[in-house]
Amino acid sequence: MKTTKRTRRAARRLFRACFAGGRLDEGRVQLAVRRVAAARLRGSLPLLSHLRRLVKLERARHEAFVETATPLAPELRSSVASNLTRAYGPGVSLAFAENAALIGGMRVKVGSDVYDGSVQKALHALQERF
Amino acid sequence: MDNLLLEIEEQIAGAKAAVAKENVGVIREIGDGVARIEGLTDAMLNEMIDLGKGITGIALNLDETEVGVIILGDYTRLQEGDEVRATGKLLQVPVGKGLLGRVVNTLGEPLDGKGPVPGEAAYPVEKTAPGIIKREKVSQPVQTGIMAIDAMIPIGRGQRELIIGDRSTGKTTIGIDTIINQARLNKAAEAKGEKDYRPLYCIYVAIGQKQSSIARIIATLEQHGAMPYTIVLASPASDSAASQYLAPFAGAAMGEWFMDNGMDALIIYDDLSKHAVAYRQVSLVLKRPSGREAYPGDVFYLHSRLLERAARVAEKYGNGSVTALPIIETQAGDVSAYIPTNVISITDGQIYLETDLFYQGVRPAISVGLSVSRVGSAAQLKAMKQVAGQLKGDLAQFRELAAFAQFGSEVDAKTQAAIDRGKRIVEVFKQPQYSPVPVEVQVAVMWCVQNGYVDDVKVERVREWQAKLTDFLTTRKAEILARIGKEKAIGDALKAELKTAADQFKETWK
Repeated sequence: MKTTKRTRRAARRLFRACFAGGRLDEGRVQLAVRRVAAARLRGSLPLLSHLRRLVKLERARHEAFVETATPLAPELRSSVASNLTRAYGPGVSLAFAENAALIGGMRVKVGSDVYDGSVQKALHALQERF
Repeated sequence: MDNLLLEIEEQIAGAKAAVAKENVGVIREIGDGVARIEGLTDAMLNEMIDLGKGITGIALNLDETEVGVIILGDYTRLQEGDEVRATGKLLQVPVGKGLLGRVVNTLGEPLDGKGPVPGEAAYPVEKTAPGIIKREKVSQPVQTGIMAIDAMIPIGRGQRELIIGDRSTGKTTIGIDTIINQARLNKAAEAKGEKDYRPLYCIYVAIGQKQSSIARIIATLEQHGAMPYTIVLASPASDSAASQYLAPFAGAAMGEWFMDNGMDALIIYDDLSKHAVAYRQVSLVLKRPSGREAYPGDVFYLHSRLLERAARVAEKYGNGSVTALPIIETQAGDVSAYIPTNVISITDGQIYLETDLFYQGVRPAISVGLSVSRVGSAAQLKAMKQVAGQLKGDLAQFRELAAFAQFGSEVDAKTQAAIDRGKRIVEVFKQPQYSPVPVEVQVAVMWCVQNGYVDDVKVERVREWQAKLTDFLTTRKAEILARIGKEKAIGDALKAELKTAADQFKETWK
C-alpha cells in the first residue's frame, strides 16, 4: 500500500477538518472515517491509514505516561495531574504504571517530552561522567 | 587516597542535576545510514541526535510527522523502536592548534592512535560565512612552490582556487606540494625567527578516497616533515555517506578557528565530486526530490556555502584568512558537466589539468589556456610579476603556433623564435612532484628565461640547465636570492647583479 504525496495531503486536510475548538473531535473523526470507507474510492485505504497515523500522533501529544518504581499515593497522583494540566493545558489524559527498573523517583512522558527524575537516570548520568 | 575520594564525591555532586525536560523520539524506520524518527517535536535543523549506544545522528529533514536523521557511525546496531533524544546542540568538532599533526575523522575523533585530540574549543560544523563588512581583499600570496602556478596562476590568501582535471592527472599532487612548501616556509621562518612571517597551516580533507591513498598521502607528508603544520581529516570510501557529506564542513570549521584567531589556513577538499555523490546518496535515501543527474536541488548551495567560508578578514577582525583549494574530478575532460560548472562558477579561478599534457610528460599538466586566477594576481610578488607578466600570453601563443608547426610548413623567423622560446618555457615549467621551488629561485630562473639566456640551450637539456643554474645561484649567489626575497622587486641594481650572475653561469655552462 503506497501512500502518495496527494493521499498524504488529502489525509492532512481531512485531519484538520476533524478539529473543533482547537482539539481533535472524536465524533468528527468517526464520521470522516465512515464517509470515506462508504465512498469506496480508489486510494481511500492509504488515505485512512495516513489519517490513523496523524490521529495517533495527535493523541500521543496529549497523553501523559507516568512511571514510578513503587505505586503512587492518590494525593501524589492528583498533584502530578494538576501540574501537567498547568503545563500542557486541559485534556491531558494520564496513565500511571510501575517500573521497578527505575529503582526510585519518577519518569513522566508527555508526547515527545520526557521529565526523568529516576534513580536509574541519575546512575546513568554518573556512569557517563566517569 | 583522599584525592580519589574527593574526586568521586565531586563526580557524584555533579551528577545530581535537576530534572530537565528532554525531547525524545522513537525510531520508526532505519536503513542505508538514515533513520526516520517519530516524535522529537522540538528538534532543530542540523541538531545532534543521541541515538544511544554511543551513536550520533544529525536531523536533516523536519517533516510534519517525523524527523529524518543521518547516522554518523555503525547504524546496524540500532533497531526500530529504540528511543532517541535530542541533544539541543548543533554538530560541533574540536578545533585549535592541538589538531596539527593529527589524523582525525569527521567528528574530530583521532584515527592515528596517538591518543585523544586536545581541542582548544569546539566549533559548529555549519556556520555562516563572514559577511561583506568583515572581508578584506586578497593581497597576500600563497606560495605553492610550483613554478607554473606561482608564475601564471597565482593564488592569494583567502582565495578559492579550483583544481580540476581527469583522474590521475596530478590534482592531489598539487595540493600535497603546496602543503609541503608551506611546511618548508614555516620551518625556515621559525629558524630565522622572523616575526613578520605569517605561517600558513594546512588542512587536508580526504572525502571518499581509498584508505590506501590516504595512508600514502600521510606517509608523504610525514616524510617531508609537513605533518606538524597539517591536519588530515579523513572520511574514506568506507565511511558512511553522511560522514563524507559532513567532512568538508568539519574541515572548514577547523580552518575558521585559525582565521578567527588571526592566523592563516589553507584547506584542500579532495574531492568535491565525491562529496556531491555522497550528498546525492544521503538526499535520495531521505527521499528529497532529485533534479539533474539525480542530484538534489540544493547541490549548488551545498558547495557555495562551503566555499564562501574561505575568506580574508579585515585587520580589526584579526586579519586571518582561510584559503580553499577544492578539487574536482572530471570525466573524459568534460568541464561542462553539472558539478564542475557549479564549482567553477563559485570559485575565484581554476587550475585545469589535461590528460594529454600529462602523458606528453608535461608535469604538472597545467593547461595554460583554460586555467585562470581571478584575484590572485593582486597577491603576486612584484618581482614575480616583473618576470612572469608576459609568460602566460607567450605560452598560449606558443601552443597555437606549435599546432601550425606540426604540419611541417615553413614559418618565418619571428614565429620560429616564438616557438623555440615556448618549447623552452614548457621545459622550465616541468617540475617533479614533492619538490617545491623557493620563490626567489623561481624569480631568478624566470628572469634568465625572459632575458634570453635559455635560448641557446638545447630543448632536451633545458632541465639540466635549470638544475645547474639553481645550484649555481643557491651555492654561489645566495646573496642575490636573499635580496630578491627581501626586496620583493627587481630594481636596476638587482637587475645588474642578476645579469652578471647569469653571464658568469653562461660561461661555465657546457
